[in-house]
Amino acid sequence: MQLTKHWAAQLDDYVIDLAWSPDGGDLAAASAAGPIRLLAAGDGAALHDLPGHDGGTNAIAWKAGSRLLASGGQDGAVKLWDGASGQHTATAKLGGGWVEHLAWGTNALAAASGRKLFLVNPDGAIRHAFPDAPKTVTALAWRKVPEPPLLAAAFFGGVRLIDPGDFSMRKELPYGNGIQTLVWAPDGRWLVSGNQDPSVHLWIPDEDAELQMSGYEGKVKHLAFDHTSRWLATAGGHDACIWDCSGAGPEGRTPAMLPHESPVSGLAFQGSHGLLASAASDGTVMLWSIERKQPLRATVKMPHAPTRLAWSPDDRQLAIGSEKGVVYVLKCEG
Amino acid sequence: MIPVTVLTGFLGAGKTTLLNRILTEQHGRKLAVIENEFGEVGVDHQLVISGDEELFEMNNGCICCSVRGDLIRILGRLLKRKDKLDGVLIETTGLANPAPVAQTFFSDDEIRSAFRLDAIVTVVDAKHVVHHLDADDESVKQIAFADVILLNKTDLVAPAELDRLEERIRRINAVAKVHRTQNCALPLDRVLDVGGFNLDRAVELDPGFLETEYPFEWAGAYPLPAGIHEIVVGHDEGHEHHDHGHDHHHHHHGNENELDLAILPVNSLEETELVRARDRAVALFATDENRVKEGSVVKPGPGRHRLLLHEGRGRFKLEVPKSGHCVVFEECGEVPLHIHVGGEIVKPDWQQDFHAAHEHNDDVTSVGIQQAGDLDGKRLNEWIGGLLRTKGGDIYRMKGVLSVKGSDKRMVFQGVHMLFDARFDRPWGAEPRKNTLVLIGKNLDRNELTEAFQSCLV
Repeated sequence: MQLTKHWAAQLDDYVIDLAWSPDGGDLAAASAAGPIRLLAAGDGAALHDLPGHDGGTNAIAWKAGSRLLASGGQDGAVKLWDGASGQHTATAKLGGGWVEHLAWGTNALAAASGRKLFLVNPDGAIRHAFPDAPKTVTALAWRKVPEPPLLAAAFFGGVRLIDPGDFSMRKELPYGNGIQTLVWAPDGRWLVSGNQDPSVHLWIPDEDAELQMSGYEGKVKHLAFDHTSRWLATAGGHDACIWDCSGAGPEGRTPAMLPHESPVSGLAFQGSHGLLASAASDGTVMLWSIERKQPLRATVKMPHAPTRLAWSPDDRQLAIGSEKGVVYVLKCEG
Repeated sequence: MIPVTVLTGFLGAGKTTLLNRILTEQHGRKLAVIENEFGEVGVDHQLVISGDEELFEMNNGCICCSVRGDLIRILGRLLKRKDKLDGVLIETTGLANPAPVAQTFFSDDEIRSAFRLDAIVTVVDAKHVVHHLDADDESVKQIAFADVILLNKTDLVAPAELDRLEERIRRINAVAKVHRTQNCALPLDRVLDVGGFNLDRAVELDPGFLETEYPFEWAGAYPLPAGIHEIVVGHDEGHEHHDHGHDHHHHHHGNENELDLAILPVNSLEETELVRARDRAVALFATDENRVKEGSVVKPGPGRHRLLLHEGRGRFKLEVPKSGHCVVFEECGEVPLHIHVGGEIVKPDWQQDFHAAHEHNDDVTSVGIQQAGDLDGKRLNEWIGGLLRTKGGDIYRMKGVLSVKGSDKRMVFQGVHMLFDARFDRPWGAEPRKNTLVLIGKNLDRNELTEAFQSCLV
């Protein structure tokens, strides 16, 4: 297994988010200062420069099966861009709070600004404004299967499960601390939060079951499920900790610990293969095969601290954003 | 580590003036400002972010376990820059309790590793603060939490009043640096990079602050012949208010129709004799009082006498068996007290004011402990752990530089409510090993704390 440098590109500031277009043709990279650049997957050439958001861009997301890119920024707005032409197509002004969380459902974008949660149509019109959450919304995640889809929105104090069809709240899952991030297992069974306290909390909403896994060194900011929904990668500190979520879940099971020498700054499983990429603030990026006896498959050291990891849709390229604004794209071979 | 300065103070005290002054004078530095939601920084500044003072209340809303969720979010976002910031200024609303702000820097691992809480700076409106101190807890807390206090708008207040105000502030927080200002004008090195949480500064204590506190405020030695005399309490017509000769400016506390006294005969006015009487009086004030009705007889010697007054006045008999000096220890030095012998007022030959344990209505005070010797690490740990568990809610801040047996380095530590941080810093070297500990909080018992601390000595 080898990770080789494919290309690199320089942004003006810290790489705050990365997103491959659904067709794999280009990589959108957002800088913390605001501008968003669309880079050609083949050689990293700048295809389009989008101005992004005044005060800074926080998050970007492609709508599945399309060339439509959404971005959220510190101006309290969601902007929509045509990735093919690089044109700004619409703005949805959500409010005064930063838009830090975006997630595309089947045909609507969930976006949060402070305590406000919205569904935004692809044309920028606000489809629905939900009642304010009790505290700032800190994570969003869609369950896409089984049908009908369900939106999970986290805040300090719990998670709300929302039906995007009639906008009703299906369930409220209380949790007495801050939630940093949320992830659904791809099969929709488990919903997992990474928490401030520091711990990982797992729910099976359909069975009203829940589990708590604690003992992390710091708040858990990184979560990733593999495509089989069995392996959950988590990190809150120096090690990536892998839980087996098959059957009744990880309670009582010993997790696999994947060590790094500095705090983990990113985790990403391939979309349809088994490799896990983990990055740490000392610049190390490692590839792991969880089910192997010797799970470490490759290690590379980047010149700058990694901030984001993103696998291309074909799982062959790994994009790495860095604090100094460099975007690296590595080829994964062997 | 990026230094963070927190600005607190009541609305109108001058926080925004100070903030604008800092931004104007420090325009070469990359400073981020986190304003409260009503903020109005007048300077055109790239990095002004509005916070909403969102509290994350752990454990059933206990304020000692609360952190500022918006600060975690905003500070976390401020780290996402290619170039490092030179500093962060956080402005709180007038009513904010500073505890969750400070606690954020202790409890969140990411914030703790990237930012250093440099100082809490409290801006005080010299003209209106007395009203606030009397009326609400938050302004007392803002003073108690401060590392630096700007006594602002001094032009609106007479110098004598400023002295009294500063004295009152000192009683609450004996370790903060107090600066008198107009329009918050002062050299900025007094408010930025002051290292308020840096413990080297914690030991620069006002020596007066280490004075012991007493359960009484005043004592006077009266030359009295044998016989039955009269104790007269209360303002007397025809006499100038209060002729103890000591000038108190504070309010009476407790029940105005009760006055506790101890009266002890002394053989001379030698210091050793007076100190012995004082220490006996401290012990007597810890005993149960005997209630003395108007007209009843009081005798010098053992006993804590509670004189029962009517509308702040009363007359009592004092039976002196043997001629000589008697020292009267008076709980509240403000209440006029005279001894009449044959109808004439007797003046005391000696008198002293004492630093009382509970002046004003401020039950927030500073306790300083300074002790030579080495501490037993285990006992110290148990004591501090237990203290924070049981009294953490009342202990706002704690700072110390300690000498722990077995280490040639100074142990420095600091805490906010239940959260604390201790580590060894530099070797003592030529500096004499000693322990300095400061606690600021509510209902602190100096004697109890001092004794408990002493029991941790090797």
